[in-house]
Amino acid sequence: MKIAYRHLAQHIKESPSIEDISNKLLQLGHEHEIDCDIFDMEFTPNRGDCLSVNGLLRELGVFFTIHPNQEIYTEKLNELQLDFENLSESTCPKISFLKLEIDQVPETYKNSLGDYFSDLGLNKNNFFTDVSNYLSYETGQPTHCYDASTMSGKLIFHEIEKNEVFETLLDKKITLTGKNSVFSLNDDVINLAGIVGGKSTSCSTNTKTVIVECAFFQPEAIIGKSVKYDIQSEASHKFERAVDPECHEKVLRRFINIVSKHANIKGVSLISYTYKDNPAHQVPINVKKINQIIGIDISEAEYINYLTKLGFVIDSSFIKIPAFRSDVRTQNDLAEEIARVIGYDNIPNADIRIPKSDKANYKDIENKLRYFLLDHGFYEVINSPFVSLSSDEAIKVDNPLDSNREFLRTNLTNSLVDNLLLNERRQKDSIKIFEISDIYSSNIAINKKRKLALIASGRVGLNYEDFSKKINMKYVSSLFKQILPEEVFDFQLLSRDLLDTKINNEIISLEVDIDKFSNKILAYEEVSSPPDNFNEYISVSDLPSSFKDISYSVKDFSKMKDLQDLLLNYQNDIVKDIFIFDYFKNEKTEEIKIGFRFVFQSKIATLTASEIDVVYNEIVNKTRDIGGISIPGM
Amino acid sequence: MPEHKDISPPKLIKDRGSLHPINHMKDSIMEMLTSFGFEIVDGPEIETEEFNFDMLNIKKSHPARQMHDTFYVENKSNLLRTHTSPVQIRGMLKKKPPLAFISGGKVYRKDDDATHLPMFHQVEGIYVDENVSFAQLKELIYKIIYSLFGNDVELRFRPSYFPFTEPSAEVDILSKEGKWLEILGCGLVNPVVLENCSIDSNKYSGLAFGLGIERIAMLKHGVTDIREFYKSNLDFLSQFK
Repeated sequence: MKIAYRHLAQHIKESPSIEDISNKLLQLGHEHEIDCDIFDMEFTPNRGDCLSVNGLLRELGVFFTIHPNQEIYTEKLNELQLDFENLSESTCPKISFLKLEIDQVPETYKNSLGDYFSDLGLNKNNFFTDVSNYLSYETGQPTHCYDASTMSGKLIFHEIEKNEVFETLLDKKITLTGKNSVFSLNDDVINLAGIVGGKSTSCSTNTKTVIVECAFFQPEAIIGKSVKYDIQSEASHKFERAVDPECHEKVLRRFINIVSKHANIKGVSLISYTYKDNPAHQVPINVKKINQIIGIDISEAEYINYLTKLGFVIDSSFIKIPAFRSDVRTQNDLAEEIARVIGYDNIPNADIRIPKSDKANYKDIENKLRYFLLDHGFYEVINSPFVSLSSDEAIKVDNPLDSNREFLRTNLTNSLVDNLLLNERRQKDSIKIFEISDIYSSNIAINKKRKLALIASGRVGLNYEDFSKKINMKYVSSLFKQILPEEVFDFQLLSRDLLDTKINNEIISLEVDIDKFSNKILAYEEVSSPPDNFNEYISVSDLPSSFKDISYSVKDFSKMKDLQDLLLNYQNDIVKDIFIFDYFKNEKTEEIKIGFRFVFQSKIATLTASEIDVVYNEIVNKTRDIGGISIPGM
Repeated sequence: MPEHKDISPPKLIKDRGSLHPINHMKDSIMEMLTSFGFEIVDGPEIETEEFNFDMLNIKKSHPARQMHDTFYVENKSNLLRTHTSPVQIRGMLKKKPPLAFISGGKVYRKDDDATHLPMFHQVEGIYVDENVSFAQLKELIYKIIYSLFGNDVELRFRPSYFPFTEPSAEVDILSKEGKWLEILGCGLVNPVVLENCSIDSNKYSGLAFGLGIERIAMLKHGVTDIREFYKSNLDFLSQFK
């Protein structure tokens, strides 16, 4: 909600700066941004009472002297004769109607009404609707204006449950479905209560006689409707968060006053219906409890002073909660009020000692497995549980994000196959990944299983010992034999027949319940350890990579170090990775053959062969200066 | 002629894998919290409305319960938990105070953009004992934030609203760029929640807090798009060794 700094400051005696007000609002818990002297406020959902100039002034009254300069009409009002029936009193326990006739529709707006439109850069609609909108801004109470000339017949407030087409005053046709609280006139819906009025009875720029409806609707009857019908309405935003049930007469008298500053009033009458009394909620004064909750030591006088400034009323040994603060009901609620006024950051910290738990980590086996896999080059992944494929036991999401995410997966392997294909498309030729997750399925009841799944494919590793070895069933099963020689695992050779790929490396997979692993794995001593620091991430290029190999013949072994130092530490923006993929020492010929792989990738554009050759040639030329080595074929 | 005939082969670099950065962050936070005295508890990701909402004082009319915010399953008989708080409810129903639990894991909300995903991770903690105060909560939160971001980080507490805590707060840290960034939510356990778990709220009070793991991991690693964490791209994952 946008509120102009000027509209607040003009009611505050101390003339605080915009920064002063901003700091106090933050202390009180009202987040906002400031743009061109306008506060763009974001209130927590329990503070509907703050959604107005007056609501914020009430809050700021803790720190400043507030002089609200808002005149109201004080003359006696005639009773409005209205054919109205409320058939849903529990939804609308209080409602008032004001009928107002003016001699002429004003062309320009004055005073606070004019400031509202000019300062906030708002578009005008029609006079009565504009006054209504302004009053909602000033007081927080939405009102709805009907053109009185369209309102002949019996007006009924009721809850309907039938499909009915309704045209809003914003020219939008919606079909009402399910339960809705509406106003009907002669059996036609003319207002979706608390959300938006109808076109048939809306005011126009010619309207001179208006019926203003001012109501309290239970938030439960309003919540969800604006989303359901895709109607962004300030009224619904306020009614959903509860408005002040006791403000009707004051708001409508303010309405009359504003109108009277712009036109001559020919007639005015008011009727109010109260179906249920709203006695003030009371909480006993208990400063000791408040001090204990917050961890402070304030006096009762300070406590009462703070609450009084926030609009709470002290009645003997009780705090009377004002009607606009429906969020305050308990000592903890009052403690929060006091803490806000003091300022959370001004409350001193207090020592805390939590008794130590000696319970073992129930995930020890799982963690051991993770580090075992890390040691053998496996990367841990986390996949979304939402899938499009159904199986007999898959749990269906009632309200999926889309049809591709309609079910919960019943296995981890399919996700890992997708991960494999993504990395193969990214020219990865050694892929080892695993995931540990809960898997849910439904038969008679919902079943939960914690599973480990892994997939391995391609080269065993990117080093000169493993580079030429391909991952196969024997390789993966031998890994597990090392740590769990007596346990049998159901490794699978997955078919590539249905996969969208031309790569033909074997895919070995395993999916197994975690509880199938015995405690024997706890004896495994891991090599890997979690990183000490949280590295700054370097953005990943989505462009294709390519590689070039350089093989050297080394006769002077003393040059091996120079060669490795030079190549393995070579840096260039397009060189992504360098490793030794081949190493062979020929004892007979006293010669070493060593091969280096250079992986090229740019973050800016797909690399051309000539761009790669420039770097490749530079690398080759640098190594030519090292004596005792040669590049076969060059 | 070569001078050295004996030479060691090049250092054999075995390719080690890496923990997923989100799991690593979650594990680090939970390890830190267990060192403070918290006990790890676990619970199901498919929950009932009773444990996910009712027991936590989230009213039937609360917007979070709407179909546009919460994933329901099996004809609305259950839901995907929207936070890890129901795990703590289950813990409080089993154990009497004093108690100190943490729970971490996947949670689900109906969002999908560069900063929100339908699945994300939380770690939440609760401590219930006699005379637990907001001032003690502040001390604990300072310890957590200092452990995560160093003792020099500037932080602030802002009043906020959660149905299950009262008073409630959100905590921000000041970034290097001078911008306040929201890090966690916390508060004193609403007495209604304690009573829902048959804990005498006149005798006991509690504190609770919750951290979004992705948010902290994004800040620590400088990741700007949350979706990067879940592409399973080895170029991305290999940076977190």
